[in-house]
Parts: sequence; structure tokens; C-alpha cells
Amino acid sequence: MIQTLLSIGLMAASALGVATFPRSVLVFLLFQGSLVFVYRARIPELLRWSLLVVALLVLMPVIGYFNGYYLEVATQVGIFVVLALGLNIVVGLAGLLDLGYVAFFAVGAYSWAIFGSPHANIIFGGGFPLAGGWFYPFLLIGLCTAALTGILLGLPVLRLHGDYLAIVTLGFGEVIRVLANNLDKPINLTNGPKGITPISRPPTPFGLPYGEYFYFLVLLLVVVVVIVNRRLEDSHIGRAWEAIREDELAARAMGVPLVRMKLMAFACGASFAGVMGVLFSAKQVFINPESFTFLESIGVLAMVILGGMGSIPGAILGATVVTVLNLQVLKGFSLWLNELKNAGVTVLGYSLADLPTQFEPAKYERMVFGIILVLMMIFRPQGIFPARRRQRELTTPGG
Amino acid sequence: MGMDFELLVRIFPEVLLDGIILGFMYALIALGYTMVYGVLEFINFAHSEIFIAGAFVGVEILLGLQARGLLDGFPWPFILLLALMAGMAASGLLAVAVERIAYRPLRGAPRLIPLISAIGVSFFLQDLIRLVESLWRNAFNLVYPSIDALNLRLELTETMDVSVKSLVVIVSALLMLWALHLIVNRTKVGTAIRAVAEDQAAASLMGIDVNRIISLTFLIGGAMGGAAGVLFGVQYGLINPYSGFIPGLKAFTAAVLGGIGNIPGAMVGGLVLGLLEAFAASYLSLLTGGAFGAEYKDIFAFSALILILIFRPKGLLGEVVRERA
Amino acid sequence: MPLFEARGVTKRFGGLTALHRVDFALERGIASIIGPNGAGKTTLFNVFTGLYVPDEGSVTFRGQALLGLRPDQITTLGVCRTFQNIRLFANMTAIENVLVGMNSRITLGLWDVLSHNPRFRRAESDLAARALGLLDRVGLQANANLVARNLPYGDRRRLELARALASEPALLLLDEPTAGMTQGEAGSLMRLLRGLVADLELAIILIEHNMRVVMEVSDRVTVLDHGEKIAEGSPREVQASPRVIEAYLGRRGAVPRGAHGA
Repeated sequence: MIQTLLSIGLMAASALGVATFPRSVLVFLLFQGSLVFVYRARIPELLRWSLLVVALLVLMPVIGYFNGYYLEVATQVGIFVVLALGLNIVVGLAGLLDLGYVAFFAVGAYSWAIFGSPHANIIFGGGFPLAGGWFYPFLLIGLCTAALTGILLGLPVLRLHGDYLAIVTLGFGEVIRVLANNLDKPINLTNGPKGITPISRPPTPFGLPYGEYFYFLVLLLVVVVVIVNRRLEDSHIGRAWEAIREDELAARAMGVPLVRMKLMAFACGASFAGVMGVLFSAKQVFINPESFTFLESIGVLAMVILGGMGSIPGAILGATVVTVLNLQVLKGFSLWLNELKNAGVTVLGYSLADLPTQFEPAKYERMVFGIILVLMMIFRPQGIFPARRRQRELTTPGG
Repeated sequence: MGMDFELLVRIFPEVLLDGIILGFMYALIALGYTMVYGVLEFINFAHSEIFIAGAFVGVEILLGLQARGLLDGFPWPFILLLALMAGMAASGLLAVAVERIAYRPLRGAPRLIPLISAIGVSFFLQDLIRLVESLWRNAFNLVYPSIDALNLRLELTETMDVSVKSLVVIVSALLMLWALHLIVNRTKVGTAIRAVAEDQAAASLMGIDVNRIISLTFLIGGAMGGAAGVLFGVQYGLINPYSGFIPGLKAFTAAVLGGIGNIPGAMVGGLVLGLLEAFAASYLSLLTGGAFGAEYKDIFAFSALILILIFRPKGLLGEVVRERA
Repeated sequence: MPLFEARGVTKRFGGLTALHRVDFALERGIASIIGPNGAGKTTLFNVFTGLYVPDEGSVTFRGQALLGLRPDQITTLGVCRTFQNIRLFANMTAIENVLVGMNSRITLGLWDVLSHNPRFRRAESDLAARALGLLDRVGLQANANLVARNLPYGDRRRLELARALASEPALLLLDEPTAGMTQGEAGSLMRLLRGLVADLELAIILIEHNMRVVMEVSDRVTVLDHGEKIAEGSPREVQASPRVIEAYLGRRGAVPRGAHGA
């Protein structure tokens, strides 16, 4: 009963709070916290899901009306949730540590960027960009291209394990990045570091503004991807992946075709990233190789680790926490620090205005990722919302 | 295609020299990876930051001297030695600290766990260096001050000259490698390290304090990386907290190329990779008529890494990894 | 044509000859392979199941050559094994372990899984029912949802058996299935095996050290020593063979009746 009241109350209050204080990052964080609370509270399932649906479909867009940046944050969270869910299949379920996951994201993004912008005219002579409506079929094309890339990556690395697999996938990720950066000659495929722009956007239904459109589209894709993940997990495919992760030799002896299953894991994981890549380039209108570096791969890994390898709610939580940390907390800290500096505040006799100008907290994403990874590995390797099986694997003594 | 054969030949000695310098540098860094892998069967992902931390300590020493106007006053061997010692000490100690804090608690865990932790440490250290330098010096893209004596050029032949700097770097690297060879093969400590690398259980039964030896391995490997960092800074001038990543990855490639866990292998691998890269950087553009230039030299190293791991993971000289009980 | 036939199997590891021209054939029933430690018994199993490629010799099952096939392909053909040191999927439940064993018999595709069509749902419930049936057969139905690592030792061996049976094999290779069991447990397992042979038209090859079990349950016994076959025949014949006694006990010694391994 108390939990029911708390759930509704917290959500309503924090939503109102955001409406009243649109600039306050803390209140927005409170709103997000209330969603987590509702997810975990001991309340009837119907109430839980009704609240969450209302929050995501109604409250969030309304909040977006008061502060467009929050909607942008929510959309970014959604994109990374799907990426985390994709990596989750490869790392969490099949146990293949892929450190170059962002390459699939890049493949999807560039596929729409090239054909959905005038850039393709440089390659083909004319006829581009494709009309905005082509965005939708390209979601599928991006999916397939990325899946194919996943299979191509998977084929040579199948026999590798653990450390070596990780390093090779890292190498692949870097190769893709260097290619993206340098394939502006002899044929200009990617336009190198200058990036590609402007990228077409699809016409929106009901004349929705793009902010809201992309938010709802991302939300829809998240739901679809979650369903796909659940179905994969609770099938012979998911069980085969788990068996491979547990004991590859025994799995093979029991008739599990290792090659096919590993490739399927890579392909499935990659396809999610491919779809989001297409969406990303349409949303951003401009992409360049800077968005697809090792930092991004590790960022997604940190999300999966934080939330819990192999766990769907974990991936969602991890993506949310890490994205919010980077986009809001760090940035907010930077802004706050600047305000304090300008106000001439002193701490323990030291004037903050004397802080070196090069010190910008917003840039310290790597430190955030690093701390998350190390602390999680030492203190809670199974993640915050552990997958049922991982919990047993990583906490029972005697490994 | 317009290949200028004469040009190719003319730049050959220079490219060779570049390759050797690069190779020695990779060898020094690779040693850190290979020694740790030898005793723990673990890739110390953070070694690239241990390497660059040495470079930063070195640059701080030199900048400090420069600020006091002492840089051209003191004899340069002394200054270089000071920077090297400081870099080695700092990196070595940093490596030991990292092992204690982030790796030791994870010793029994499944292999992926310490690897992920190492990745975390790597990222953390990158931004830690940035933080420290931002607060201390309000800049984190630093340039090694140039020492006049090092910029002199010596004539080797009629057509070729070489900078004192390059010679110093090569000689220093050689001395380090030789010192390491002595330590590993002629001292009790070195024997203990090799014992632990081959069979940890047996070594501990022989009375070797395995934890201490592991710490020592990190110390020595880290120190080598730190030395490489200082030399890197002296040779190439510009460093930032993120410049360790790519050389680190390439040095790891070199270690695998030579056979991971194999110390002479790391040296050989480093040289081979350095030469390969130098030649790729200089000749690729000429050979392909400008279609693929020096930017692709990184892909060279990465492709080499991928190919070796897939087709010959034992490397050129063969793996030296532990006996399994 | 025998169900399973291995001829002239030779396997060397560097300078060591682990198996030397071993012949083995089985039509039906239960055959045991015994021999002192290091005789090459598990190596022989590894060759049969595709984990090792022999240097010489041939292995055929139902007339089809097994050499060069991958282990999962061999399992699909109808040969399945258990392991000497139990290789269960420790963090999966008993029923999940058995379900993985059925992998080679599942004809569902990716689309079926993603769409949850009626075909998928029917197949999954069939699988679950079959898995429970197998667990029931080995006496583990009460522990179906227990995580494998938490099962008591005897139950783990039974689970491995159930998992191997899940692939609907025609030939089962069991590597020391009664190791660590009490005489009572071993006897009960053997009765189970005899039941399986009768009901499922299964042929079984056992590697065993427990002589009493071997003598009781085998139709035929093959003895390996230092990689060579030194005797083969009914349990009685083998028991009386002086060469066998010598291999186990040295020049002079009593018949190993009821002895628990060398």
C-alpha cells in the first residue's frame, strides 16, 4: 500500500517538479529515479506497467515540452539501450567479449548517410539523395548490412577465446575507424574526417516535430528489441549460447554447432547496432568517424557490465545510468562549477575562479567508464540487475 | 604509376633508421605485456597508460629544469638519465599499484573479469593523467623541450646523417634491453620470475613468494614501459594522455608476434613490427601512387595482429606459457 | 554390418603411442572397455567422438565414416558421450541441461523463435515434456529446476546421462559412469542402463574401473593396456585370461573379482 502511494506520488511529484524547474538537472534525475523505483517496487503488475507506460508515453514528451534537452537525453538513452541489448547478446549470452561493437553501429550509420545524402552523387554521379521515405526500408538494409558485417567478423575469430578474441575485435573496430577516416580517396566513400551531411530525414506522421518523432521511434524500437531478446533467450538458441559460454567442449559434444551459433550471436548483436546506426544518422543529420571510436565501444560495454551481463533489465538500467552520467551529470557538474567560479565562490580558502581553465568535468567520460568497469568487476561482477544465471556463476564461491 | 626508384633507394637508410628506433620502442613496451602475460596469463591492458605516464613524468622533469633555466646548463646525459630514472620509477610503481588494487582481488576469477578490469584501469588512467596535468599545468598536450645538444646531426656517410637524438634513443633502448636480459637470466630474481612464469604452484612449493614476484614483474615491466615513454617523448616530442593507446596496441601486437610470454620474442617482435610500419609509412604512398598513404600504417599493425592471432597465435618464436597442473 | 566399427585405430602424441591398432566393433547391447590407468580408454572415446583425429585407422557408424567429422556432427548422427570428470553446464538447471542435449534434434529456425508461432510453441512444450520424461527416467524429476552445480554427486552423473540421452542416440559412450558411487548406487545405475538398452534399442560402450559392475552388466568386455587390445570376450573369459591378470596385478596375483579398479 505504502509502495503504491510512493510510486504514484514520486512519479507525479517529480514530473511536476520538472515542469516547474525545467533547468534543474537534479529534479529530472529524481524523475528518472522514480521510474526505477516503480520498476522495482512491490506493487501490482498492472499498476507498475501502467505507470511506466504513462511515464514514457505521456509524461516524458510533456517534460520535453518544458525542456527539449531532456527529450534529447531520453532519445540518446533509448539508442544506447538498444546498443547495450545488442552487445548483451554477444557478451552476456554467448560470452564473446567484443571490444569493437561500435563498428556495426558505424556500418549502419554510414549506409543511410551515404545514400540518404547528396554524398552518393560523388560515387554514382547523380540521383541522390534518396527521398526521406527511404529511411524506413533502410532500417532493414542497415540491419542486414550490419548482420553481414557481424558474420564476416565472426568467421575468422571463431576459434579464439577470451583475451585474444577481445583484442582481435578491438583491432577490427579500429580498422573500421581508420577506414572511415581515410576512405575519401581513391574513391570518396566516407568523406573522411569531414563526415557526411546533410542526411535526409523521413517525413513525420501527424506532423510531429522531429524531437518527439525520434523519441517515439526509439521507444518503439526498444520495445521490439526487448521482445526479440526475450524470445531469443528463452529458446534453444539462447540455451545453446549459454551452453557455449559455460563449457564449449561439452556443448559441442552435445550436438551444438559452435560455428553457426557463434555467428548467429554476432549477427544478431550486430543487427541491433545496424538499425540504430541508420536512425542515428537520420537524427543527427551529420555524422563523422568521431562518433564511432573505441570509446563508444567501451561505453556500451560499461553499460552492459554495470547493468548485468546477460540481463535485459540490466542492459536498460546500465544504458540509462551511463548515458545520463555523461550527458547530464558530468555536463551539469561542469556548468555548476562554472557558475560557482563566476560567483567567486571559495572552498577551504581556495578560490574556484583560480581553477585551471582546461579542467572541464564534462570531458571525463573515460574516467567514468573506467571507474565503473573496475569497481563492478571487483565488487559486483554480476551487475546491478543480474541475470539469473550469471548471479550463480559469479557469486557462488569455488567458481 | 610513376614509381621513382631512385627516390625509394635514397630514402631507404632513413626509413631503416626510423624503423629501428620505432622497433626498439615497441620492444621496450612489449616487454611489459609479455612479462606480465608470462607470469599471470593475463593481458595488462593498462600498460599503454603506464607507458605514457612515464612520458609525462619525463616531460615534467624536463619542463621543470627548463623553467629554472637549467636545461642547457647541465650536461645532457645527466638530464636524460634523470628523466629516464624518474619515468621508470614512476611507471614501475604505478604498475605495482595497479596490480595490487585492480588485479590482485580478481586473481581467481574467470579470465574475462580481470581483462575488463584492466580496460577500466586503462581508461581511468588516461583521464587521471589529464586531470593531474590540467590542474597542475592547465594543459595536457605537452611538448618535450628540445635540448640543443641532441638536435645536432652527425655525418655517417657522405649522403647520410643522423641526429644525436636518434643515436641516444637507440643506445638507451639497447642498454635497457641488455639490462633486462641480465636481470631475467643472471639474477636470482630473474630466475624466480621465470619459475613463476612456468609453473606457479611448483615455484611456490620451492619457497618462492609468488605475490612478491608478481609485483616485481609488474615493477620491471612497468619500468621498461616508463623508459620507453621517456624515449618516445624525446624522439617524437608531442604527448597527450591518450597517446599511449595506439603504441600500446601495436606493442602488444609485437609481443604476440614474437610469442607472448617470450622475452626475446618481444624484442624480435618489436623490431619486426617497427620496421614493417616504417616501411609501410614511407613506401605505401609511393607504391600506390598516393591512393593509400601513411595513414594506413595503423591498419598494417592491426591487420598483422588479427592475422597472427588467427593463424599463428604462438608467434614467431613460440609461446612460453605455464604448464597446467 | 555392425552398428559401430573401429579398425586399426592408432593415435600418437609426439613420441608416445597412446593407441596402437585397436579394433573394436559393436552390434548391440552393452560392451565394456577396461584396463589399467593410462591404457588409452578415454583417448579411444575421444577418437570415436571426433575430439581427436587418429593417425591411422577408421571409425564407422551405421556404415558412415566418422573420421573428419566434428563432434557435433557425430552427435547428430546418433553417437553421444559423457565425460570422465562430468562436464555439466554448471549454472544451468537440470532441465536446461537436458534441453541443450536435444539441440541436434530441433528443427526450429530463427524465424520460428522470433515469431513465437504455433510451431514454436508446440515444439517447446514437446521438448519440455520430453526433458521431464528423461529426468524422470533417471530419477531426477524432483530436481528438475535445481541448478546443476547444486546437485549431489550421484545426481550429477545421472543428469549427464539424461543429457546424453536427450540427443536420441543409437550409441551411447559412458566414461566411468559409476566413479565415486557406492556399490548400491552403481548397481542401480546399471539396472537403469539395462532398462535403456531394452526399451530404446540403445547400444552402450562403458569405460569402467568397477569390476563388479563390469562383470554384472556387460555382454562383452574389451581390455586395453598401454594402448593395445590384449583381450576381448565375455566377462568370464576375460576374467580368467592370464594376460589380463598380469596387466592389472603384475606377474603373480589373484583374479580381480570385485576389485575396485587397479
